Amino acid sequence: MATVKKRFGATDGWVNMPDGTSHYIFGFVDITGVPENQIFQYRGKATLLAPLLEVYEGDEVYLTLTNLGFPGRPDLDDTHTIHWHGFPNQIPLWDGVPETSLSVPVGRDFTYYYKPLDPGTYIYHCHFEPVEHIQMGMVGPLTVHPQLEKDLGRKFAYNDENTAFDLEALIFLTELDPKPHHLVASVQAFDWTEYRPQYWLISGRSYPDTVKPANDPSLPQQPFSALIEAYEGEKVLLRFVNIGFQQHCIQVLGIPLKVVGLDARLLRGYNGEDISYGRDVIYIAAGQTVDAIFTAPRAGIYPLYNRNHNKNTIAGTAFGGMVTEIRVLSKP
Amino acid sequence: MPVINLWAKDGYLSTPDGNSIYFWGFAKSESDPAQLPGPYIIAKQGETVTVNLYNTLSEPVSITFPGQPGVTAGGQPVRPQYSDGKLLSFVNHAEPGGMMSYNFTPTNPGTFIYESATNPHKQVPMGLYGGLVIRPADFKPEIKEYKTAYGAGTNTEFDREYLLITGEIDPYLHRAVENGKPYLVSKYLPRYWTLNGRCAPDTMLMDRVDYLPHQPYGSMVMGLPGEKILMRYVGAGIENHPLHPHGAHTRVVAVDGRLLRNGSIDLSYKRFTVLVGAGRTCDQIYQWHGLGYTPQNPIPTTLPNLRNMGVGDAGWTMWSGSPYLGVKGDIPVGVVSYNEFGEYYFMLHSHEELQITNWGEFPGGMMTMVAIYPSLSPDVGLL
Ligand SMILES: [Cu+2]
Ligand SMILES: [Cu+2]
Repeated sequence: MATVKKRFGATDGWVNMPDGTSHYIFGFVDITGVPENQIFQYRGKATLLAPLLEVYEGDEVYLTLTNLGFPGRPDLDDTHTIHWHGFPNQIPLWDGVPETSLSVPVGRDFTYYYKPLDPGTYIYHCHFEPVEHIQMGMVGPLTVHPQLEKDLGRKFAYNDENTAFDLEALIFLTELDPKPHHLVASVQAFDWTEYRPQYWLISGRSYPDTVKPANDPSLPQQPFSALIEAYEGEKVLLRFVNIGFQQHCIQVLGIPLKVVGLDARLLRGYNGEDISYGRDVIYIAAGQTVDAIFTAPRAGIYPLYNRNHNKNTIAGTAFGGMVTEIRVLSKP
Repeated sequence: MPVINLWAKDGYLSTPDGNSIYFWGFAKSESDPAQLPGPYIIAKQGETVTVNLYNTLSEPVSITFPGQPGVTAGGQPVRPQYSDGKLLSFVNHAEPGGMMSYNFTPTNPGTFIYESATNPHKQVPMGLYGGLVIRPADFKPEIKEYKTAYGAGTNTEFDREYLLITGEIDPYLHRAVENGKPYLVSKYLPRYWTLNGRCAPDTMLMDRVDYLPHQPYGSMVMGLPGEKILMRYVGAGIENHPLHPHGAHTRVVAVDGRLLRNGSIDLSYKRFTVLVGAGRTCDQIYQWHGLGYTPQNPIPTTLPNLRNMGVGDAGWTMWSGSPYLGVKGDIPVGVVSYNEFGEYYFMLHSHEELQITNWGEFPGGMMTMVAIYPSLSPDVGLL
């Protein structure tokens, strides 16, 4: 069991879409270990997705949230929180719901404490005015690795040897409606019942940007690549997350998937029955996560896309959006 | 043999942002107000139920009982009704000013919906729906092993139970019906989302508050640490809603009134977000155990000075001001706390977050709380 100390700043920033447009966001930025007199250099540097929080079962996690304010909206003094979505038996103090405990004003810190006991794929997000702060981008991936990995020195999704894998990839789904982003940037109100997304993102990017490498200089605030590269025969764990406001259905052309976990729960019945199942399309509702494993077939390029084909577009026209590629290579 | 009378009537719903919305609903009697949702019907496996529908509306109305076998209307098997060769009702209806009597004998326990089957694209969104709970034949609430959703030995024991019925409201549909104007259902665009007919924060009020005469049911889920809280979700709208409770996963034990079990194999599963499909029901057990923190076993972080934190920014909070269950701390001056006994509140809401607004304004819509109390009367959480 390790002690994990992290510090995330809440601030704003901009993201780029393949059609050359830029959009104002709110988000988090990793400021762990940054000297106190330098944290303000991170104002405006929020990323979409927020930084990956990756821990082990049994770790003691101290996560400090610092509200750095919005340089793009200096008039706005919104508070923020971190809500670990799906944390069992949480107490309100660390649940991050402003109406049921507290939130963090500009210039202040608050430390959340978690001792995760259940491995799996989770989400964290701000819960202050969540319709606005989630759409604006305050969402991040959160994975808890099982003890079994330490015991056997190999990778597993859960404490079950049937969930072994060689490499993992994140399929983190959100939508972006440019209208509220524009209105928030220009200090105007938006009627959220008029929500009409135009961009469909995997891990914060729209295809073809999804297949660019991580930390690509053309996407300074979208560090996550969604390109998946594996060798023939390797087992790949896909961690699907939907933190958009719509249901999605993701298909991988030519590769069957085995669903082993839902909502950070191994698919085992009440008495330990194996209730995992095979799928070609992963239906996933807003606020759900799905863990699925596949074995990389013969070398080739296998597209991963949304079977709601209207979501494989950029602003309703060009082919792109919620698409990425699984590139399988011959063994070296 | 239970006999239930339902009167199809009209009335006005109240939304927390001050709107008054014309609706159609079922009432318990001629003199009672129409209500959203209709009166809960509680019946028992194997016992015949009679539902008498009295129609005071200006068009035919019917009731269908999805999931119930062998439903009869006026003594004959139900059948679709046509007007000038065009489909009007999926089952026999009551004419305006008329009456229709339905009978069925539930063969399975579970959670079900009842709803209009006449012009359902209009009448169901207008509010003609309700929840139906069938008790297992061996149900005995005073004996733990027999206080179950699906019968003794099915791992569905519960301590308290709540019905949570989802719905949507498009005010333009309601206004068009009120004024007898045409309405294109293809333009359906909800601006309000409801739990048990109310929008948040009204969802968190008690049952039967005076100023919501047409919306008698609250949605506050209350229980004790470790208790098995049975949540019966019913999807009465025409859209799907992903409901996410904070604090714990739910164990889904049945879908559409069917126990998730295959012989001796228990197929129930845990989720932190359950998609309540249109017309779907989901029975689930929610259990919150906590993390064991008390003033004697304190949390490993220090509580900051609350004057430096955001507490009740809107002027109110549901927090006690303390990290501990059953303990009340100091809430900053000027903030109203609705916390009574140091209970914990966990939000339960649609994760299609625009649905937790009232016409775009957060907080509102399809949202309520699960309240975990340090102690609670056994009379709370009965249907
Ligand atoms: Cu969430
Ligand atoms: Cu939430």
